[in-house]
Amino acid sequence: MTQRTPSSAAAEAAIPFWRNVKTIGILAQLAFVIAIVAAIGVLVNNVVTALAAANLPADFSFLRNPAGIPIAERPIPYVVSDTYARALLIGFLNTLKVALVGVVLATVIGVLFGVMRLSANWLIRTIATVYIELLRNIPLAVQIVFWFAAILLPFPPRISDPVALPGGLLLSNVGLAFPAFYPTFRFGFWVPWLVAALVLAIVTGVWRKRRLDKRDEVGAIWPYWVSSFVLVAAAGLALSYMTRTVPAGLEFNYQASSGRGTTTMVSDGESRPAAFVPVRVGITEGRLTTTSQNLVESRQVVHGTFRFPLINENEAGTIVVDFADPDDAAARGLRLHFTNYPSVGTVYADLNANDEFDEGEEVDPATGRGYGGVSIIMDVTDFARVLVSDRDGQLRLPAFAAPVTEEAEAQESAVPAAGGRFSAFGQAATATTAAATLEATSELLPMGSLVFSRAYVPVSNYEGGMRFTVNYLALLLALVIYTSAFIAEIVRGGILAVPKGQREAAYAVGLSSYQTFTKIIFPQAMRVVLPPMISQYLNLTKNSSLATLAGYAELFVIAQVISNQTGAAIPIALILIGSYLAISLAFSFVLNNVNARLALVER
Amino acid sequence: MAMIPARPAPVPTSGAAYWVKKNLFNGPFNTVLTIVAGVIVAWSLFNLANFIFVEASWGQVWKNMKLFAVYRYPAEHLWRPLLVAGTMLGLMGAMAGVGKPRSIIANAYWSLMGFVALVSVVAVIFWPSVRFLWPMALLIGLAGFGVAKAFPQVVRGLSLAWGVWLVAGFLLLAGFGSGGALGRVPIRDWGGFLLTLILFTGIVPSFPIGIALALGRNSKLPAIKYFCIGFIEIVRGAPLIMWLFIASLLLPLILNVDANSLPAIMRAYVAITLFSAAYMAENVRGGLQAVPRGQSEAARALGLSGWQTTQLIVLPQALRAVIPAIVGQAIGLFKDTSLVFIVGLVDFFKVADLVSVQPESLLVTGGVKLEVFLFVAIIYFFFAYRMSIASRQLEKQLGVGER
Repeated sequence: MTQRTPSSAAAEAAIPFWRNVKTIGILAQLAFVIAIVAAIGVLVNNVVTALAAANLPADFSFLRNPAGIPIAERPIPYVVSDTYARALLIGFLNTLKVALVGVVLATVIGVLFGVMRLSANWLIRTIATVYIELLRNIPLAVQIVFWFAAILLPFPPRISDPVALPGGLLLSNVGLAFPAFYPTFRFGFWVPWLVAALVLAIVTGVWRKRRLDKRDEVGAIWPYWVSSFVLVAAAGLALSYMTRTVPAGLEFNYQASSGRGTTTMVSDGESRPAAFVPVRVGITEGRLTTTSQNLVESRQVVHGTFRFPLINENEAGTIVVDFADPDDAAARGLRLHFTNYPSVGTVYADLNANDEFDEGEEVDPATGRGYGGVSIIMDVTDFARVLVSDRDGQLRLPAFAAPVTEEAEAQESAVPAAGGRFSAFGQAATATTAAATLEATSELLPMGSLVFSRAYVPVSNYEGGMRFTVNYLALLLALVIYTSAFIAEIVRGGILAVPKGQREAAYAVGLSSYQTFTKIIFPQAMRVVLPPMISQYLNLTKNSSLATLAGYAELFVIAQVISNQTGAAIPIALILIGSYLAISLAFSFVLNNVNARLALVER
Repeated sequence: MAMIPARPAPVPTSGAAYWVKKNLFNGPFNTVLTIVAGVIVAWSLFNLANFIFVEASWGQVWKNMKLFAVYRYPAEHLWRPLLVAGTMLGLMGAMAGVGKPRSIIANAYWSLMGFVALVSVVAVIFWPSVRFLWPMALLIGLAGFGVAKAFPQVVRGLSLAWGVWLVAGFLLLAGFGSGGALGRVPIRDWGGFLLTLILFTGIVPSFPIGIALALGRNSKLPAIKYFCIGFIEIVRGAPLIMWLFIASLLLPLILNVDANSLPAIMRAYVAITLFSAAYMAENVRGGLQAVPRGQSEAARALGLSGWQTTQLIVLPQALRAVIPAIVGQAIGLFKDTSLVFIVGLVDFFKVADLVSVQPESLLVTGGVKLEVFLFVAIIYFFFAYRMSIASRQLEKQLGVGER
């Protein structure tokens, strides 16, 4: 008797191949691949033919051509004649700039509102609910335009009259400027110290950790490595300030009549713009002229206002502001009232003769109009300002004119007076300069490894310091507020997901409600919250492509301009997709690592 | 004999005073918080009310209502979009009529009807050209509800009716021939809220594509699986605004047709549909993963084929679980339709932009940007918020949160 066992080979042989699941699978895939390849082939062929017919670029060689696109926001040096590739790089960096700052702020605000939503206080709870529901359900595009065109552009003060906030901040409709430290040419001096500080910090941290482990104690590690890092780094920085020098090859020129200067670095016989170089400019005697004007600002009329470029009292020996023709002004009963001496003020008539400016006196009661069109002169002696050249090596000061001698004035009376609003804003060098020359001194200052740059308004834009344009602020504000509403919901869900027993147990062992929240509830909630949070961060990054609504030069905006200029739609599309995927992958990578660290270790 | 001493009366745990104490003045910290927040809220509300009722000039918004609604769609053909809207309400009414009285669809139907009734009243009083058209839409909407109440058997024809509505509605809006009541309206004249709603229907074709992609992603066949993964991840990796831009540039090239024969609306529609499909696929995949393995194993054990298992057992359960997520996605898509300005379309959002730079608007002191965008935001909010309420209701009904 022979044992018959069904062999699998025999069984498979019994099934005809066209009914074998494996074969069908392979055949189906083959058919699918062929169909896809054929479809893509036809489509690509279509595109290539169309591109060739229209004579449009289909490869990446156009990236080396000069772009000719002016970009206001540039984290790295860029001039209009730079290549398309560099313009795209600027766009990419701008995207990162708004995305990284946005992610941090959105998280902070989102967590705040998420916690508020669960508050025991009905009012706080309701405010959070309204905030979340309102902002989640209005398109981001509407919100960006709302912040940009409806709030940030019309309402803040004009650039000629910025609000000075504490801490050297200046706010106006051009944006926010604040003081900042910049690395100079001597930054290299500090680098070895920084490296040493880093090494020491690691060594100290490891040493402390080992010691704790050895003694089996619980204790903080961070004070050790932080303090050693700060000590060494601060010592290096201090030393760089004590041994200030001016590097060889650094040059600059300054034209007093135009108020402009450039710092350059000469090396290999070629001179290039030098960034963040401190320069002291002094003017013995100078004069600024402006005309008071009637301005219609948002929803109100400002009467007889005059504005000079921002000059601080401590920058000059004496400052005298008066009418160009004091006799005429006295005859008309006009006086000057300063809202910000000596730069901003109003022309008024002292109607009630109390020597003070009162409401209504800035208007002529007969005509209802203000005292516009009166020339006002600021005489300055011993003016001195330390400027830090910007990224392109540019220095700008108000364009002073030389003070006019009586002799020259007599000659000038034949020449028609220089008219125009804002004559101090770049037009001061008029006929009067021909009569007398402006004397200015300027010197390069020896520098440490960092230079402190303060923001100021020399002409009609910020100089110095660090600046967030109003476009950037509007985009950032809208992105942060919109995303924070989603993050708040996620945080709320995460907190609710922590089992009730955890809170009760924490109270039972005697933790306060604050301790319970920060040490028990929140860390556990973070675990649930992180994955959806990652996708919100990615959404924020992708949503930054709506920057075109706020006029911010982000990657997509620049890519769009380039595509319109060159017609290179396909290469641009590939670059865009590649860039966004790279950002997505980087985000996922970093945050997945964090996620893995936070995850519960289960048996 | 010892007596138990009398206890003080219990502190009341209900009533307005108790509620206020518990919710607003519970301890010194909460009291301070309440007062500070109360002052801020009062100040904000006062300013908002002051702006809306005193400072704002709503004239430009009011004068341009037609632009907001349909942009350049000819005034004499306005009955067509309103007829389409009316029949849509009628079909929704039929669905509401055959369902339970307070079902989600009924709630949505009644709040939409409330909106239309409000606009009808305004139309009858102020807008002579659409004086009878808005009430007509309202009446058709009510008629649908009434018919379904009287003849519940219409429920069987409803899905067919929706399909017919979609095609017939599009044809009616586009029109035929060159003149007369049904004359062709060039597709580039469509705009405003009408366009926003048309683009919003992109969620419908994205549904089957998304399901196919999700199934493909779960497939055991590597070629299909990796194609689907690649499609989903690449599309989701880049922003919609970029896909719209690319679609508007490349679709004519890819399809080898003349750029003028492919209206911008269609390009945007394709981009929106495919983009939405990629997100839909991820939602559906979440649902597929939520269906226990035992379900499909049991189905196979009963002798169902692979397709039957997917179609009859797995998909219905998977889709049921992700309905709230899909509604959430619909809200997102509704808001994202505002991005089509990038391809030169004039949707509801873009109309606001155009109105705010009209010469008449620039004459208004301070401009009308705030007013115009506030109006647009309120309308978007109404619809999006209504949908999110429905989503929450659905979630509760399906018990997604509790299981």
